[in-house]
Amino acid sequence: MKIKKGILTSFSITILISLGGYAYIALAHGQPHSEQDLKLFEMAYQKAVDQGYKLFHDSKLGTTGQSCDMCHPDAANTHPETYPKYQTQIKKVITLGEMINWCIINPLKGEALPLDSEKMIALEAYITNQRKGVPLAPGKH
Amino acid sequence: MSCMKTCMALILLLTIAYADAYGGPYTLTIPLGLTETAIPKDNPMTVEKIALGKKLYFDKRLSADDTVACSNCHDPARGFADALPTSSGIRGQFGPRNAPTVLNSAFYALQFWDGRAPTLEEQAKGPIINPVEMGMPSHDELIKKLQGIPEYVKDFQEAFGSGITIDRLAQAIAAFERTIISGNSTFDRFLYGEEPDAISESARKGLEVFRGKGRCLNCHDFNPMYAFFTDNKFHNIGVGMDRTDYDPGRFKVTQNPADKGAFKTSTLRNIELTAPYMHDGSQKTLEDVVEFYNKGGIRNPYLDGGIVPLGLSDQEKKDLVEFLKSLTGDKPQI
Amino acid sequence: MKPRHESGITRRDLLRAGAGTAAVTLMAGASPFGMVRMAFGSEKAQSFTFAYLSDAHLYVKSLNQKFVDSLVKGVQNVNDMDPPPDFVFFGGDLAQLGHPDELKLGKEILSGLKPKLHMMVGEHDWYLDMGEAWKGLFGPDRYSFDHKGIHFVVLNSVIVKDYWTPNNMTPEQRMLAMAQLDNPKGEAFSVGSEQRAWLEKDLKKVKPETPLVVFSHSPLYKLYRPWNFWTDDAEEVQKILSRFKIVTVFHGHTHQILTNRIGNITFHGFLSTAWPWPYAPTGMPKLSLQMDRPDPFFSTDGCGWGTIDMLGSGQADKTYQLWNRSPMKVTYQEIAAGTWPPAYAQGSSGPSY
Repeated sequence: MKIKKGILTSFSITILISLGGYAYIALAHGQPHSEQDLKLFEMAYQKAVDQGYKLFHDSKLGTTGQSCDMCHPDAANTHPETYPKYQTQIKKVITLGEMINWCIINPLKGEALPLDSEKMIALEAYITNQRKGVPLAPGKH
Repeated sequence: MSCMKTCMALILLLTIAYADAYGGPYTLTIPLGLTETAIPKDNPMTVEKIALGKKLYFDKRLSADDTVACSNCHDPARGFADALPTSSGIRGQFGPRNAPTVLNSAFYALQFWDGRAPTLEEQAKGPIINPVEMGMPSHDELIKKLQGIPEYVKDFQEAFGSGITIDRLAQAIAAFERTIISGNSTFDRFLYGEEPDAISESARKGLEVFRGKGRCLNCHDFNPMYAFFTDNKFHNIGVGMDRTDYDPGRFKVTQNPADKGAFKTSTLRNIELTAPYMHDGSQKTLEDVVEFYNKGGIRNPYLDGGIVPLGLSDQEKKDLVEFLKSLTGDKPQI
Repeated sequence: MKPRHESGITRRDLLRAGAGTAAVTLMAGASPFGMVRMAFGSEKAQSFTFAYLSDAHLYVKSLNQKFVDSLVKGVQNVNDMDPPPDFVFFGGDLAQLGHPDELKLGKEILSGLKPKLHMMVGEHDWYLDMGEAWKGLFGPDRYSFDHKGIHFVVLNSVIVKDYWTPNNMTPEQRMLAMAQLDNPKGEAFSVGSEQRAWLEKDLKKVKPETPLVVFSHSPLYKLYRPWNFWTDDAEEVQKILSRFKIVTVFHGHTHQILTNRIGNITFHGFLSTAWPWPYAPTGMPKLSLQMDRPDPFFSTDGCGWGTIDMLGSGQADKTYQLWNRSPMKVTYQEIAAGTWPPAYAQGSSGPSY
């Protein structure tokens, strides 16, 4: 993680240097993102969603042959919009990522993913993307 | 004429109301970690009734040969249980099941291991006429016997404003049992009393095992407000299922084959005080119990879907037992 | 799910019960069904009970013991029935990936059933080798039989258009694609023209008054296309069945409590022994009572099996034998009278947790 952050930071610095003061002013005044920026954001996001779709349908996340989609076709009944919430299986208020790990450990008998791992973020991206437009309802049951 | 009828009806009503509310009100103090329990409307808690219930609870004359009181098998000195695998009744007979503790039994939705009694009142009537427990030939026989004891005639009059009946007797014992509650354990002080150092580090780790990998919490339920440590449901965890003549448990009550070998989730409060464990007393120590669950119970076709091998490490098992020991509460004032 | 009967009454209880409940049930059944019997003249049909097991989705034992245990549980529950059912019907998807080892394992477990067994195929049994192993173990994928005055037809309703040849898919790829419920490129199930012709021929000898029971893996109606809760030629099949007075369709595949009625046909979906599916986001029949969301902590919650009481009239009452919950009975009378689902459950989509 530290290395990645380092790369990102130096990347931003490079942009700042190459664009000179203009970039600084643009950011300071909160001007809209450029077309190219938006395209990049969209592509990066879609890449995570696509990776999440694959993981969601991948029996290798666990060891029982099962995959997430077997109980949650199209990520149905995952309700990402209701997190954080009190989850009865764990008896605590938890985030979506923690519930994903519960499912990986219990029905799938696999290894939990670090909450900040690329795989976990991809799974969250796919699941949340499936509920795009649904109003947030944290804590809802 | 009609006015007179109304007046008479009113007097009658007042009398009933008065009878129901006989005696001085009793205030129950709820210890940390517990919450109010439902008191049946027709059996309000009164000082006189609870005193009578206590007397009855410890009185061996409730049994056929004056040898067995409620307290024989639900002994305050043994965690309100009897430290035996299965309980001993009159003439040294043993029943088929382990005596559950009376401690906090008021918090169960149903009574007995198989839940066949809906209330403590109904429960109290059972052992009296069970031939291997207190062995009275009938409830009527017991009432006749007690009516011959002037002290009880007086006590029932004071507690209920009426004579001795089996229902009154059961109400008095149940009212007494509702005072046998125990909380304020070190766990309660840790979780509900905001005393982070109330339990050891090992017990804290054990709580995490209890909540997570150990899969305990899902049936031995507690929540952010209070802890009964039971879901008040019935589960087949495999105890005794390796015998061909296994105890069918809840099935006897519901006749639903899916309930075969299922028993009530018992509370874990004061668990350290109530060995041996399980409905047949087959597990001697808390370590044995943890190992039983760690292996995934005893596999059988009726096994509950929540029971799976756990893969706990030796340290995790130790921590879990440490946690269970933190559930011993204050001794109830009876 | 709200338990249908608070006490969780089973058929056995009713049989054993004294005058009380049993008499009420018989009286409730007597007048309307008596009239039906007279009107349709199907007095030859006798009442009996059969059991329904479905959707075991077995992997090989070394990979997944849980699904194996669940089917063993179902077999044990059926064998516990007292009196025993006349037969057991298996509603398809015995295997998860159509592998001969999965199917053999399933056959071995089902051989523990004491009553006679009738089998039906599901897409998970079929698409590795186009049914070769399954047929080798269990016989034809479509057939009919008669029992106590009722004509039973078993269909293979999971036929899809060949999309694997043009896409150069291996049998394994084809199987995996078919096994994915939410496959966006999946083809719709159908009974197919060839089988419909067979069905018409089979039914020719059957009188319209004879009660008819049809078994299909997919629901023989159109519920939700993205998950193949669907049969593409449902209308054509329904048309073939339309000349019969009393038609009941029992299906697997949807892994949930499901009821529908179209014209003269009543449709009953059954539970899986392996896992429950969520309800489709659209297209749910009005007659459906959605069960509360299962709790995955209890691996068999929302799963189970079923019993079907065929009434003397040729109509059917069904009971969902849910593991971890009380049994839920749905009577033909409630469906026909429009009192199912009960008022308290109408408009409820069930809580989520």
